[in-house]
Amino acid sequence: MDELKELIKQGKAEETEARVRELLQAGNDPEALLREAMIPAMEEVGNLFQAGEYYLPEMLLAARAMQAGLEVLKPVLARHGAGFLGKVVMGTVQGDIHDIGKNLVTMTLEGAGLEVIDLGVDVSPERFVNAVREHKPLALGMSALLTTTMLSMKETIDALREAGLRDSVRVMVGGAAVRGEFAEEIGADFYGPDSVAARDYVRQIVELAG
Amino acid sequence: MPEKIFKDHHDFEHLRRVIMRETTEGPVPIIELAADPEVMSAVTGMGFPAERALEIYYLGPNPTMEQLQLGLRLMDLSLAFSEKVGYDYVTMIPVVPIPRTEFLARENPQQEGKVRGWLDEHHGLIMNRADLEAFPWPSTEEISLVAMDYAASKMPEGMKVMAVYTGIFEDLKRLMGFENMALKSVEDPELCGEILDRLAVLAEAAIDRCAAHEAVGAVFYAEDMGFNRGLMLSPRWMRQWVIPYLKRFAEACHRHGKPFLLHSCGQIDALMEDLIETVGIDARHSFQDNIEPVEEVYRKYHDRIAILGGVDVDLLARGTPEQVRRRTREILEVCAPGGGFCMGSGNSLTNYIRMENYYAMLDETRKWNQEHGYL
Repeated sequence: MDELKELIKQGKAEETEARVRELLQAGNDPEALLREAMIPAMEEVGNLFQAGEYYLPEMLLAARAMQAGLEVLKPVLARHGAGFLGKVVMGTVQGDIHDIGKNLVTMTLEGAGLEVIDLGVDVSPERFVNAVREHKPLALGMSALLTTTMLSMKETIDALREAGLRDSVRVMVGGAAVRGEFAEEIGADFYGPDSVAARDYVRQIVELAG
Repeated sequence: MPEKIFKDHHDFEHLRRVIMRETTEGPVPIIELAADPEVMSAVTGMGFPAERALEIYYLGPNPTMEQLQLGLRLMDLSLAFSEKVGYDYVTMIPVVPIPRTEFLARENPQQEGKVRGWLDEHHGLIMNRADLEAFPWPSTEEISLVAMDYAASKMPEGMKVMAVYTGIFEDLKRLMGFENMALKSVEDPELCGEILDRLAVLAEAAIDRCAAHEAVGAVFYAEDMGFNRGLMLSPRWMRQWVIPYLKRFAEACHRHGKPFLLHSCGQIDALMEDLIETVGIDARHSFQDNIEPVEEVYRKYHDRIAILGGVDVDLLARGTPEQVRRRTREILEVCAPGGGFCMGSGNSLTNYIRMENYYAMLDETRKWNQEHGYL
Protein backbone atom coordinates (compact mmCIF):
# COMPACT_ATOMS: atom_id res chain seq x y z
CA MET A 1 0.00 0.00 0.00
CA ASP A 2 2.81 2.40 0.88
CA GLU A 3 4.43 1.68 -2.46
CA LEU A 4 1.16 2.45 -4.27
CA LYS A 5 0.93 5.74 -2.44
CA GLU A 6 4.48 6.65 -3.43
CA LEU A 7 3.90 5.71 -7.07
CA ILE A 8 0.94 8.09 -7.26
CA LYS A 9 2.86 10.87 -5.55
CA GLN A 10 5.68 10.39 -8.03
CA GLY A 11 3.23 10.42 -10.93
CA LYS A 12 4.12 6.98 -12.28
CA ALA A 13 0.95 6.01 -14.17
CA GLU A 14 1.92 2.63 -15.61
CA GLU A 15 3.47 1.44 -12.38
CA THR A 16 0.43 2.64 -10.40
CA GLU A 17 -1.91 0.69 -12.65
CA ALA A 18 0.26 -2.45 -12.32
CA ARG A 19 0.53 -2.09 -8.55
CA VAL A 20 -3.27 -1.76 -8.15
CA ARG A 21 -3.70 -4.98 -10.16
CA GLU A 22 -1.11 -6.77 -8.04
CA LEU A 23 -2.70 -5.66 -4.78
CA LEU A 24 -6.14 -6.71 -5.97
CA GLN A 25 -4.84 -10.09 -7.12
CA ALA A 26 -3.22 -10.54 -3.73
CA GLY A 27 -6.70 -10.24 -2.22
CA ASN A 28 -6.55 -6.71 -0.83
CA ASP A 29 -9.83 -4.95 -0.17
CA PRO A 30 -10.42 -2.52 -3.10
CA GLU A 31 -12.03 0.03 -0.85
CA ALA A 32 -9.00 -0.09 1.44
CA LEU A 33 -6.73 0.58 -1.55
CA LEU A 34 -8.74 3.65 -2.36
CA ARG A 35 -9.18 4.98 1.17
CA GLU A 36 -5.83 4.04 2.68
CA ALA A 37 -3.45 4.58 -0.21
CA MET A 38 -4.84 6.39 -3.23
CA ILE A 39 -6.91 9.15 -1.61
CA PRO A 40 -4.20 9.90 0.99
CA ALA A 41 -1.63 10.03 -1.84
CA MET A 42 -3.62 12.69 -3.67
CA GLU A 43 -4.22 14.47 -0.37
CA GLU A 44 -0.47 14.72 0.10
CA VAL A 45 0.02 15.82 -3.51
CA GLY A 46 -2.51 18.61 -2.99
CA ASN A 47 -0.79 19.68 0.20
CA LEU A 48 2.61 19.66 -1.49
CA PHE A 49 1.14 21.86 -4.24
CA GLN A 50 -0.28 24.29 -1.74
CA ALA A 51 3.01 24.36 0.13
CA GLY A 52 4.80 25.30 -3.09
CA GLU A 53 6.78 22.06 -3.26
CA TYR A 54 4.82 20.61 -6.19
CA TYR A 55 4.04 22.59 -9.34
CA LEU A 56 1.54 22.04 -12.15
CA PRO A 57 3.55 19.27 -13.87
CA GLU A 58 3.86 17.23 -10.68
CA MET A 59 0.12 17.71 -10.00
CA LEU A 60 -0.76 16.65 -13.54
CA LEU A 61 1.48 13.59 -13.38
CA ALA A 62 0.10 12.51 -10.00
CA ALA A 63 -3.45 13.03 -11.21
CA ARG A 64 -2.72 10.98 -14.31
CA ALA A 65 -1.32 8.15 -12.15
CA MET A 66 -4.39 8.33 -9.90
CA GLN A 67 -6.63 8.10 -12.98
CA ALA A 68 -4.72 5.06 -14.21
CA GLY A 69 -5.20 3.34 -10.85
CA LEU A 70 -8.87 4.30 -10.68
CA GLU A 71 -9.52 2.82 -14.13
CA VAL A 72 -8.56 -0.57 -12.72
CA LEU A 73 -10.26 -0.07 -9.40
CA LYS A 74 -13.59 1.45 -10.43
CA PRO A 75 -15.22 -1.71 -11.89
CA VAL A 76 -14.08 -3.73 -8.87
CA LEU A 77 -15.42 -1.13 -6.48
CA ALA A 78 -18.72 -1.12 -8.34
CA ARG A 79 -19.00 -4.92 -7.94
CA HIS A 80 -18.34 -4.53 -4.23
CA GLY A 81 -21.12 -1.96 -4.06
CA ALA A 82 -18.75 0.71 -2.77
CA GLY A 83 -19.92 4.18 -3.54
CA PHE A 84 -18.49 7.60 -4.05
CA LEU A 85 -18.63 10.24 -1.34
CA GLY A 86 -20.80 12.37 -3.57
CA LYS A 87 -21.22 13.81 -7.02
CA VAL A 88 -19.90 17.08 -8.50
CA VAL A 89 -20.63 18.62 -11.91
CA MET A 90 -17.70 20.53 -13.42
CA GLY A 91 -17.21 22.62 -16.55
CA THR A 92 -15.48 25.57 -18.19
CA VAL A 93 -18.02 28.26 -19.01
CA GLN A 94 -19.38 29.32 -22.38
CA GLY A 95 -16.97 31.15 -24.67
CA ASP A 96 -13.95 29.83 -22.76
CA ILE A 97 -11.97 26.80 -23.84
CA HIS A 98 -9.12 26.58 -21.37
CA ASP A 99 -9.41 23.61 -19.12
CA ILE A 100 -6.14 22.81 -17.35
CA GLY A 101 -7.44 24.45 -14.16
CA LYS A 102 -10.81 22.76 -14.42
CA ASN A 103 -9.14 19.41 -15.09
CA LEU A 104 -6.92 19.79 -12.05
CA VAL A 105 -9.98 20.43 -9.88
CA THR A 106 -11.74 17.45 -11.45
CA MET A 107 -8.80 15.15 -10.83
CA THR A 108 -8.29 16.43 -7.30
CA LEU A 109 -11.95 15.83 -6.49
CA GLU A 110 -11.81 12.33 -7.97
CA GLY A 111 -8.66 11.79 -5.96
CA ALA A 112 -10.67 12.65 -2.87
CA GLY A 113 -13.24 9.95 -3.63
CA LEU A 114 -15.87 12.03 -5.38
CA GLU A 115 -17.62 11.24 -8.62
CA VAL A 116 -17.17 14.07 -11.12
CA ILE A 117 -19.35 14.67 -14.15
CA ASP A 118 -17.04 16.71 -16.37
CA LEU A 119 -18.97 18.64 -18.99
CA GLY A 120 -15.81 19.85 -20.73
CA VAL A 121 -15.28 23.36 -22.11
CA ASP A 122 -17.50 26.08 -23.61
CA VAL A 123 -20.45 24.88 -21.54
CA SER A 124 -23.63 26.93 -21.91
CA PRO A 125 -25.82 27.83 -18.92
CA GLU A 126 -28.48 25.47 -20.30
CA ARG A 127 -26.07 22.53 -20.30
CA PHE A 128 -25.05 23.23 -16.72
CA VAL A 129 -28.71 23.43 -15.68
CA ASN A 130 -29.56 20.19 -17.48
CA ALA A 131 -26.61 18.42 -15.85
CA VAL A 132 -27.65 19.61 -12.39
CA ARG A 133 -31.19 18.45 -13.06
CA GLU A 134 -30.02 15.05 -14.31
CA HIS A 135 -27.21 14.24 -11.89
CA LYS A 136 -28.38 16.02 -8.74
CA PRO A 137 -24.81 16.81 -7.63
CA LEU A 138 -23.76 18.14 -4.25
CA ALA A 139 -21.83 20.88 -6.00
CA LEU A 140 -21.43 22.56 -9.36
CA GLY A 141 -17.97 23.91 -10.24
CA MET A 142 -17.42 26.49 -12.97
CA SER A 143 -14.09 27.68 -14.32
CA ALA A 144 -13.20 30.72 -16.47
CA LEU A 145 -9.94 32.31 -17.55
CA LEU A 146 -11.07 35.76 -18.57
CA THR A 147 -12.90 38.72 -17.14
CA THR A 148 -15.36 38.46 -20.01
CA THR A 149 -16.01 34.74 -20.06
CA MET A 150 -16.52 34.63 -16.29
CA LEU A 151 -19.69 36.70 -16.82
CA SER A 152 -21.26 33.49 -18.04
CA MET A 153 -21.05 32.20 -14.45
CA LYS A 154 -23.70 34.70 -13.41
CA GLU A 155 -25.94 33.66 -16.30
CA THR A 156 -25.62 30.04 -15.22
CA ILE A 157 -26.50 30.87 -11.61
CA ASP A 158 -29.48 32.92 -12.82
CA ALA A 159 -30.53 30.03 -15.06
CA LEU A 160 -30.32 27.62 -12.11
CA ARG A 161 -32.53 29.97 -10.13
CA GLU A 162 -35.06 30.23 -12.95
CA ALA A 163 -35.12 26.45 -13.22
CA GLY A 164 -35.84 26.22 -9.48
CA LEU A 165 -32.55 24.35 -8.91
CA ARG A 166 -30.41 26.97 -7.22
CA ASP A 167 -31.08 25.77 -3.68
CA SER A 168 -30.41 22.16 -4.58
CA VAL A 169 -26.72 22.63 -5.33
CA ARG A 170 -23.69 24.51 -4.00
CA VAL A 171 -22.00 26.59 -6.67
CA MET A 172 -18.23 27.05 -6.61
CA VAL A 173 -16.25 29.18 -9.06
CA GLY A 174 -12.60 29.69 -9.91
CA GLY A 175 -10.14 30.66 -12.63
CA ALA A 176 -7.51 33.27 -13.38
CA ALA A 177 -9.64 36.41 -13.36
CA VAL A 178 -12.17 35.26 -10.75
CA ARG A 179 -11.98 36.48 -7.19
CA GLY A 180 -13.98 36.25 -3.98
CA GLU A 181 -15.88 39.52 -4.39
CA PHE A 182 -17.01 38.48 -7.85
CA ALA A 183 -18.23 35.13 -6.54
CA GLU A 184 -20.25 36.95 -3.89
CA GLU A 185 -21.59 39.48 -6.41
CA ILE A 186 -22.99 36.81 -8.73
CA GLY A 187 -24.44 34.71 -5.93
CA ALA A 188 -21.99 31.80 -5.96
CA ASP A 189 -21.40 29.95 -2.71
CA PHE A 190 -17.65 29.62 -2.92
CA TYR A 191 -14.55 30.92 -4.66
CA GLY A 192 -11.49 28.70 -4.66
CA PRO A 193 -8.07 29.97 -5.66
CA ASP A 194 -6.93 26.43 -6.46
CA SER A 195 -7.98 22.80 -6.72
CA VAL A 196 -7.15 22.00 -3.10
CA ALA A 197 -9.45 24.77 -1.88
CA ALA A 198 -12.21 23.30 -4.06
CA ARG A 199 -11.56 19.83 -2.64
CA ASP A 200 -11.71 21.10 0.94
CA TYR A 201 -14.94 22.97 0.23
CA VAL A 202 -16.64 19.91 -1.27
CA ARG A 203 -15.47 17.85 1.69
CA GLN A 204 -17.23 20.29 3.99
CA ILE A 205 -20.42 19.86 1.98
CA VAL A 206 -20.09 16.07 2.19
CA GLU A 207 -19.67 16.28 5.96
CA LEU A 208 -22.66 18.59 6.30
CA ALA A 209 -24.74 16.26 4.16
CA GLY A 210 -23.87 13.53 6.63
CA MET B 1 -13.30 61.01 -25.14
CA PRO B 2 -11.29 63.79 -23.49
CA GLU B 3 -10.11 66.58 -25.80
CA LYS B 4 -6.47 65.65 -25.42
CA ILE B 5 -6.09 61.93 -25.10
CA PHE B 6 -2.83 62.12 -23.19
CA LYS B 7 -0.33 64.47 -24.77
CA ASP B 8 0.49 65.90 -28.18
CA HIS B 9 4.18 65.16 -28.38
CA HIS B 10 6.48 62.15 -28.07
CA ASP B 11 9.54 61.95 -25.88
CA PHE B 12 11.10 58.52 -25.91
CA GLU B 13 14.21 59.84 -24.23
CA HIS B 14 12.16 60.79 -21.16
CA LEU B 15 10.49 57.35 -21.16
CA ARG B 16 13.92 55.71 -21.37
CA ARG B 17 15.27 57.79 -18.48
CA VAL B 18 12.25 56.87 -16.34
CA ILE B 19 12.65 53.18 -17.18
CA MET B 20 16.36 53.31 -16.40
CA ARG B 21 15.57 55.23 -13.18
CA GLU B 22 17.83 58.08 -14.20
CA THR B 23 15.24 60.67 -13.18
CA THR B 24 12.42 61.24 -10.74
CA GLU B 25 11.52 64.47 -12.50
CA GLY B 26 9.12 64.98 -15.38
CA PRO B 27 5.71 63.54 -16.19
CA VAL B 28 4.74 59.94 -15.50
CA PRO B 29 4.87 58.28 -18.93
CA ILE B 30 2.29 55.80 -20.20
CA ILE B 31 3.08 52.36 -21.53
CA GLU B 32 1.36 49.24 -22.88
CA LEU B 33 2.73 45.96 -24.15
CA ALA B 34 -0.11 45.56 -26.62
CA ALA B 35 -3.50 46.85 -27.67
CA ASP B 36 -6.12 44.78 -29.46
CA PRO B 37 -7.02 46.16 -32.91
CA GLU B 38 -10.55 46.99 -31.71
CA VAL B 39 -9.07 49.39 -29.14
CA MET B 40 -6.72 50.99 -31.66
CA SER B 41 -9.58 51.29 -34.14
CA ALA B 42 -11.81 52.93 -31.55
CA VAL B 43 -9.12 55.52 -30.84
CA THR B 44 -8.11 56.23 -34.43
CA GLY B 45 -11.28 55.54 -36.41
CA MET B 46 -9.22 53.28 -38.69
CA GLY B 47 -10.69 49.89 -39.49
CA PHE B 48 -8.93 46.55 -39.26
CA PRO B 49 -10.24 42.97 -39.41
CA ALA B 50 -9.51 42.23 -35.75
CA GLU B 51 -10.05 38.49 -36.13
CA ARG B 52 -6.95 38.36 -38.36
CA ALA B 53 -4.60 40.10 -35.93
CA LEU B 54 -3.02 37.04 -34.29
CA GLU B 55 -2.27 35.53 -37.67
CA ILE B 56 -0.49 38.75 -38.67
CA TYR B 57 1.42 39.13 -35.40
CA TYR B 58 2.81 35.63 -35.84
CA LEU B 59 3.45 35.45 -39.57
CA GLY B 60 4.74 32.02 -40.46
CA PRO B 61 6.93 31.03 -43.38
CA ASN B 62 5.67 32.03 -46.85
CA PRO B 63 3.09 34.67 -45.98
CA THR B 64 0.56 35.52 -48.69
CA MET B 65 0.38 38.92 -50.35
CA GLU B 66 -2.92 39.53 -48.57
CA GLN B 67 -1.28 38.79 -45.18
CA LEU B 68 1.55 41.19 -45.98
CA GLN B 69 -0.96 43.89 -46.92
CA LEU B 70 -2.79 43.32 -43.66
CA GLY B 71 0.57 43.56 -41.90
CA LEU B 72 1.05 47.00 -43.41
CA ARG B 73 -2.42 48.05 -42.30
CA LEU B 74 -1.73 46.82 -38.79
CA MET B 75 1.53 48.79 -38.67
CA ASP B 76 -0.29 51.91 -39.88
CA LEU B 77 -2.93 51.35 -37.23
CA SER B 78 -0.30 50.97 -34.50
CA LEU B 79 1.48 54.12 -35.62
CA ALA B 80 -1.74 56.13 -35.75
CA PHE B 81 -2.78 54.81 -32.32
CA SER B 82 0.53 55.71 -30.66
CA GLU B 83 0.48 59.13 -32.25
CA LYS B 84 -3.12 59.90 -31.36
CA VAL B 85 -2.80 58.86 -27.73
CA GLY B 86 0.64 60.37 -27.27
CA TYR B 87 2.72 57.30 -26.49
CA ASP B 88 6.47 57.82 -26.73
CA TYR B 89 6.93 54.65 -28.75
CA VAL B 90 5.19 52.42 -31.22
CA THR B 91 5.28 48.65 -30.76
CA MET B 92 6.57 46.59 -33.67
CA ILE B 93 7.29 42.87 -33.92
CA PRO B 94 10.21 41.32 -35.79
CA VAL B 95 9.12 38.56 -38.17
CA VAL B 96 10.57 35.25 -36.99
CA PRO B 97 8.82 32.76 -39.26
CA ILE B 98 8.57 29.79 -36.90
CA PRO B 99 5.64 27.55 -37.82
CA ARG B 100 3.44 27.77 -34.72
CA THR B 101 0.48 25.80 -33.48
CA GLU B 102 -2.63 27.64 -34.60
CA PHE B 103 -4.73 29.48 -32.07
CA LEU B 104 -8.24 28.18 -31.53
CA ALA B 105 -10.75 30.92 -32.27
CA ARG B 106 -13.89 31.12 -30.16
CA GLU B 107 -16.75 33.60 -30.12
CA ASN B 108 -17.78 34.85 -26.74
CA PRO B 109 -21.53 35.44 -26.32
CA GLN B 110 -20.69 37.88 -23.51
CA GLN B 111 -18.99 40.13 -26.08
CA GLU B 112 -21.48 40.35 -28.92
CA GLY B 113 -19.73 37.59 -30.80
CA LYS B 114 -16.21 39.05 -30.67
CA VAL B 115 -13.61 36.42 -31.36
CA ARG B 116 -10.69 35.57 -29.12
CA GLY B 117 -7.76 33.32 -30.00
CA TRP B 118 -6.94 30.61 -27.47
CA LEU B 119 -3.78 28.59 -27.10
CA ASP B 120 -4.40 24.90 -27.54
CA GLU B 121 -3.56 23.47 -24.11
CA HIS B 122 -3.43 19.86 -25.17
CA HIS B 123 -1.83 19.64 -28.60
CA GLY B 124 1.06 21.25 -30.37
CA LEU B 125 3.20 20.85 -33.46
CA ILE B 126 5.93 19.18 -31.40
CA MET B 127 4.51 16.45 -29.18
CA ASN B 128 7.63 14.28 -29.08
CA ARG B 129 11.22 13.87 -30.23
CA ALA B 130 10.25 12.65 -33.71
CA ASP B 131 8.22 15.84 -34.25
CA LEU B 132 11.20 17.88 -33.11
CA GLU B 133 13.55 16.15 -35.52
CA ALA B 134 11.17 16.78 -38.43
CA PHE B 135 10.46 20.38 -37.46
CA PRO B 136 11.28 22.98 -40.16
CA TRP B 137 13.18 25.55 -38.09
CA PRO B 138 13.82 28.79 -39.92
CA SER B 139 17.37 30.11 -40.06
CA THR B 140 18.39 33.35 -38.41
CA GLU B 141 18.75 34.85 -41.91
CA GLU B 142 14.98 34.57 -42.31
CA ILE B 143 14.36 36.99 -39.43
CA SER B 144 12.96 40.23 -40.81
CA LEU B 145 12.92 43.66 -39.25
CA VAL B 146 10.68 45.08 -41.95
CA ALA B 147 8.32 46.44 -39.29
CA MET B 148 11.11 48.42 -37.65
CA ASP B 149 12.24 49.80 -41.00
CA TYR B 150 8.68 50.76 -41.87
CA ALA B 151 8.09 52.48 -38.53
CA ALA B 152 11.40 54.32 -38.84
CA SER B 153 10.17 55.98 -42.03
CA LYS B 154 6.80 56.97 -40.56
CA MET B 155 7.32 57.78 -36.89
CA PRO B 156 6.79 61.33 -35.69
CA GLU B 157 9.63 63.17 -34.02
CA GLY B 158 10.57 61.99 -30.57
CA MET B 159 9.05 58.54 -31.00
CA LYS B 160 11.01 55.26 -31.03
CA VAL B 161 10.08 51.65 -31.73
CA MET B 162 9.42 49.27 -28.86
CA ALA B 163 10.45 45.89 -30.28
CA VAL B 164 8.11 43.28 -28.82
CA TYR B 165 9.41 39.74 -28.73
CA THR B 166 7.32 36.74 -27.69
CA GLY B 167 9.45 34.66 -25.34
CA ILE B 168 10.91 31.22 -25.79
CA PHE B 169 8.95 29.70 -22.91
CA GLU B 170 5.79 31.11 -24.50
CA ASP B 171 6.76 29.49 -27.78
CA LEU B 172 7.63 26.24 -26.00
CA LYS B 173 4.10 26.14 -24.57
CA ARG B 174 2.63 26.96 -27.95
CA LEU B 175 4.72 24.46 -29.89
CA MET B 176 4.16 21.58 -27.45
CA GLY B 177 0.70 22.37 -26.02
CA PHE B 178 0.74 23.43 -22.38
CA GLU B 179 -0.24 20.09 -20.88
CA ASN B 180 2.21 18.09 -22.97
CA MET B 181 4.95 20.60 -22.20
CA ALA B 182 4.22 20.35 -18.46
CA LEU B 183 4.39 16.55 -18.50
CA LYS B 184 7.50 16.49 -20.68
CA SER B 185 9.19 19.03 -18.41
CA VAL B 186 9.40 16.24 -15.85
CA GLU B 187 9.49 13.11 -18.02
CA ASP B 188 11.83 14.39 -20.74
CA PRO B 189 13.25 17.78 -19.77
CA GLU B 190 16.01 17.39 -22.37
CA LEU B 191 13.35 17.48 -25.11
CA CYS B 192 12.06 20.80 -23.75
CA GLY B 193 15.68 21.94 -23.45
CA GLU B 194 16.43 21.14 -27.08
CA ILE B 195 13.37 23.05 -28.28
CA LEU B 196 14.26 25.98 -26.05
CA ASP B 197 17.77 25.91 -27.44
CA ARG B 198 16.50 26.14 -31.04
CA LEU B 199 14.10 28.92 -30.09
CA ALA B 200 16.84 30.77 -28.23
CA VAL B 201 19.12 30.88 -31.26
CA LEU B 202 16.37 32.71 -33.15
CA ALA B 203 15.39 34.90 -30.19
CA GLU B 204 18.94 35.99 -29.46
CA ALA B 205 19.59 36.88 -33.08
CA ALA B 206 16.29 38.76 -33.38
CA ILE B 207 16.77 40.68 -30.13
CA ASP B 208 20.35 41.53 -31.02
CA ARG B 209 19.29 42.87 -34.42
CA CYS B 210 16.29 44.74 -33.01
CA ALA B 211 18.39 46.39 -30.31
CA ALA B 212 21.00 47.34 -32.91
CA HIS B 213 18.33 49.02 -35.08
CA GLU B 214 18.56 52.79 -34.91
CA ALA B 215 14.79 53.26 -34.69
CA VAL B 216 14.40 50.85 -31.76
CA GLY B 217 14.44 52.37 -28.31
CA ALA B 218 13.90 49.29 -26.16
CA VAL B 219 13.02 45.60 -26.30
CA PHE B 220 9.84 44.41 -24.59
CA TYR B 221 10.27 40.68 -23.98
CA ALA B 222 6.99 38.88 -23.26
CA GLU B 223 7.33 35.66 -21.29
CA ASP B 224 4.41 34.45 -19.16
CA MET B 225 5.93 32.32 -16.42
CA GLY B 226 3.33 32.33 -13.69
CA PHE B 227 -0.31 31.76 -12.89
CA ASN B 228 -2.29 33.30 -10.02
CA ARG B 229 -0.56 31.49 -7.18
CA GLY B 230 2.96 30.89 -8.43
CA LEU B 231 5.20 29.74 -11.22
CA MET B 232 3.84 27.27 -13.77
CA LEU B 233 6.98 25.17 -13.45
CA SER B 234 9.29 24.97 -10.46
CA PRO B 235 11.88 27.70 -9.84
CA ARG B 236 14.56 25.02 -10.14
CA TRP B 237 13.36 24.04 -13.61
CA MET B 238 13.11 27.63 -14.73
CA ARG B 239 16.61 28.36 -13.40
CA GLN B 240 18.04 25.42 -15.26
CA TRP B 241 16.20 25.66 -18.56
CA VAL B 242 14.99 29.24 -19.08
CA ILE B 243 16.87 31.82 -17.00
CA PRO B 244 20.26 31.30 -18.72
CA TYR B 245 18.68 32.10 -22.08
CA LEU B 246 16.94 35.19 -20.73
CA LYS B 247 20.34 36.37 -19.50
CA ARG B 248 21.71 36.02 -23.03
CA PHE B 249 18.78 37.98 -24.47
CA ALA B 250 19.19 40.80 -21.97
CA GLU B 251 22.90 40.92 -22.77
CA ALA B 252 22.14 41.06 -26.50
CA CYS B 253 19.88 44.04 -25.83
CA HIS B 254 22.21 45.81 -23.39
CA ARG B 255 25.11 45.38 -25.80
CA HIS B 256 23.43 48.10 -27.85
CA GLY B 257 22.60 50.27 -24.87
CA LYS B 258 18.85 49.59 -25.00
CA PRO B 259 16.60 48.77 -22.03
CA PHE B 260 15.32 45.19 -21.70
CA LEU B 261 11.76 45.15 -20.35
CA LEU B 262 10.11 41.97 -19.15
CA HIS B 263 6.40 41.19 -19.36
CA SER B 264 5.28 38.17 -17.38
CA CYS B 265 1.81 37.34 -16.16
CA GLY B 266 1.24 35.57 -12.89
CA GLN B 267 2.91 35.38 -9.52
CA ILE B 268 6.63 35.22 -10.34
CA ASP B 269 8.08 36.42 -7.06
CA ALA B 270 10.08 33.19 -6.68
CA LEU B 271 12.14 34.19 -9.72
CA MET B 272 12.48 37.92 -9.16
CA GLU B 273 16.00 37.74 -7.72
CA ASP B 274 17.11 35.67 -10.72
CA LEU B 275 15.44 38.09 -13.12
CA ILE B 276 16.99 41.15 -11.52
CA GLU B 277 20.44 39.83 -10.56
CA THR B 278 21.14 37.11 -13.11
CA VAL B 279 19.16 38.20 -16.16
CA GLY B 280 19.48 41.91 -15.56
CA ILE B 281 15.99 43.04 -16.54
CA ASP B 282 15.47 46.80 -16.44
CA ALA B 283 11.73 46.74 -15.84
CA ARG B 284 8.86 44.42 -15.05
CA HIS B 285 5.36 44.59 -16.51
CA SER B 286 2.00 42.84 -15.85
CA PHE B 287 0.14 43.05 -12.59
CA GLN B 288 -3.21 41.81 -11.37
CA ASP B 289 -4.78 42.92 -8.09
CA ASN B 290 -5.85 39.42 -7.07
CA ILE B 291 -2.26 38.22 -7.47
CA GLU B 292 -0.28 41.14 -6.06
CA PRO B 293 -1.26 44.79 -6.46
CA VAL B 294 1.32 46.81 -8.37
CA GLU B 295 2.05 49.00 -5.33
CA GLU B 296 3.31 45.96 -3.42
CA VAL B 297 5.62 45.01 -6.25
CA TYR B 298 6.81 48.61 -6.55
CA ARG B 299 7.64 48.78 -2.85
CA LYS B 300 9.71 45.61 -3.10
CA TYR B 301 11.67 46.26 -6.27
CA HIS B 302 11.57 49.90 -7.37
CA ASP B 303 15.05 50.60 -6.08
CA ARG B 304 16.40 48.05 -8.55
CA ILE B 305 14.08 48.00 -11.59
CA ALA B 306 11.28 50.07 -13.09
CA ILE B 307 7.67 48.98 -12.66
CA LEU B 308 5.36 49.34 -15.67
CA GLY B 309 1.55 49.59 -15.73
CA GLY B 310 -0.75 48.11 -13.13
CA VAL B 311 -4.43 49.09 -13.53
CA ASP B 312 -6.13 45.70 -13.41
CA VAL B 313 -7.70 44.66 -16.71
CA ASP B 314 -10.71 43.35 -14.79
CA LEU B 315 -11.33 46.86 -13.46
CA LEU B 316 -10.86 48.35 -16.93
CA ALA B 317 -13.38 45.82 -18.25
CA ARG B 318 -16.03 45.85 -15.54
CA GLY B 319 -15.45 48.95 -13.45
CA THR B 320 -16.74 52.48 -13.88
CA PRO B 321 -14.63 55.46 -15.00
CA GLU B 322 -14.85 56.81 -11.44
CA GLN B 323 -13.46 53.57 -10.03
CA VAL B 324 -10.69 53.58 -12.63
CA ARG B 325 -9.79 57.18 -11.78
CA ARG B 326 -9.67 56.33 -8.09
CA ARG B 327 -7.48 53.27 -8.65
CA THR B 328 -5.18 55.13 -11.07
CA ARG B 329 -4.63 57.83 -8.47
CA GLU B 330 -4.02 55.29 -5.70
CA ILE B 331 -1.31 53.70 -7.80
CA LEU B 332 0.22 57.04 -8.77
CA GLU B 333 0.37 58.17 -5.16
CA VAL B 334 2.54 55.19 -4.26
CA CYS B 335 4.51 54.61 -7.45
CA ALA B 336 4.98 58.02 -9.10
CA PRO B 337 6.93 60.13 -6.58
CA GLY B 338 9.95 57.80 -6.42
CA GLY B 339 10.27 57.51 -10.21
CA GLY B 340 10.89 54.34 -12.18
CA PHE B 341 7.19 53.97 -12.92
CA CYS B 342 5.00 54.23 -16.02
CA MET B 343 1.20 54.13 -16.00
CA GLY B 344 -0.79 51.62 -18.01
CA SER B 345 -3.08 48.64 -17.86
CA GLY B 346 -2.06 45.65 -15.78
CA ASN B 347 -1.67 43.51 -18.88
CA SER B 348 -2.81 44.89 -22.23
CA LEU B 349 -5.63 46.82 -23.82
CA THR B 350 -7.93 43.92 -24.60
CA ASN B 351 -10.99 44.13 -26.81
CA TYR B 352 -13.16 43.69 -23.73
CA ILE B 353 -12.08 46.74 -21.74
CA ARG B 354 -14.46 49.71 -21.71
CA MET B 355 -13.00 52.54 -23.75
CA GLU B 356 -14.29 55.12 -21.29
CA ASN B 357 -12.24 53.36 -18.60
CA TYR B 358 -9.12 53.44 -20.72
CA TYR B 359 -9.63 57.16 -21.30
CA ALA B 360 -10.26 57.67 -17.58
CA MET B 361 -6.92 56.00 -16.74
CA LEU B 362 -5.10 58.21 -19.24
CA ASP B 363 -6.91 61.36 -18.17
CA GLU B 364 -6.28 60.81 -14.47
CA THR B 365 -2.58 60.31 -15.20
CA ARG B 366 -2.58 63.46 -17.35
CA LYS B 367 -4.20 65.38 -14.49
CA TRP B 368 -1.66 64.01 -12.05
CA ASN B 369 1.15 65.19 -14.30
CA GLN B 370 -0.48 68.63 -14.64
CA GLU B 371 -0.94 68.94 -10.89
CA HIS B 372 2.77 68.21 -10.50
CA GLY B 373 3.75 70.91 -12.98
CA TYR B 374 4.29 68.75 -16.05
CA LEU B 375 2.74 68.77 -19.54
